[in-house]
Amino acid sequence: MATATTRITSARFEQGLTYSDFLAAASVNRDKFEQNYNNPVLTADDRIFFQKASQHPDGPRKMLVIAEAWCGDVYRELPTAVRIAESAGIDLRIFLRDENPDIMEEFLSNNGKSRAIPVFVFYSVDTKYITHFTERSASAHAGLALAMEQARAKLNLPASATFGNLPDPARQEFLLDVISRIELHADRWRRDAVKEIRQLLATALHLPDAA
Amino acid sequence: MTAQDRTAAHQEKIPIVYTIRGCDSCVKLLAKWDAEKFVYDERRVELSQATLDEARQYGKLVPIVVWPDGRVEQGFGDSFGCFI
Repeated sequence: MATATTRITSARFEQGLTYSDFLAAASVNRDKFEQNYNNPVLTADDRIFFQKASQHPDGPRKMLVIAEAWCGDVYRELPTAVRIAESAGIDLRIFLRDENPDIMEEFLSNNGKSRAIPVFVFYSVDTKYITHFTERSASAHAGLALAMEQARAKLNLPASATFGNLPDPARQEFLLDVISRIELHADRWRRDAVKEIRQLLATALHLPDAA
Repeated sequence: MTAQDRTAAHQEKIPIVYTIRGCDSCVKLLAKWDAEKFVYDERRVELSQATLDEARQYGKLVPIVVWPDGRVEQGFGDSFGCFI
């Protein structure tokens, strides 16, 4: 996990896209971004927490987002980040993953193997790294693992079955069953992402958090 | 892609593959097919909403392969692919 940034200076941060620039440049999914922005998952308590956090002397005043408009996790989670930034007066700038490999390199996940997005990186007013959140909530990752386990049981597949080792058509049947199970939880996992971001900030800034 | 284009691809007996070039699973599938000199009709969904909407008729994870006989396959390899 990154603990400091070497590439993000205040000047580089300023080069990022605003959300409206990002949307204007997006070739796809503008409707999905709008739909999720208009279906916010922030509570009044969340807004108060993020306002307090941003008022902390070392608190978040800048948020760098690594994203691509085609990514499902991005159109689900980025509108939440925008809501957080708007509620707390945080300057949010977006960097396209595939045009900024040096920034992505600093925030790889899965032990440095995955370029998962979105990534939300919080910085202080003088661009000191605070913390970051990647892709989706821990509950979403756990939910995917559970969905796979349940799909294996339903389809009488061995515990060792994965997307990589099943032949088609069993692989397709497995995948469709997993998708149908995880889709039910999308909104809850968006909410869990907010809780996780709160906890990350609370830990980094030593703030109380009752989320 | 129009229905005419789709019919043309299938009359040539080649699969249509919906991809995103930033998706690792898509890149791996195309690398495999290229190494095998396999012929395919690639449709990049990140470039236009119309192509993305077309792909969504077939599935939710790229790569999505539509075979000439109508079979549809989503994802490739070990990973889940990318949600569209």
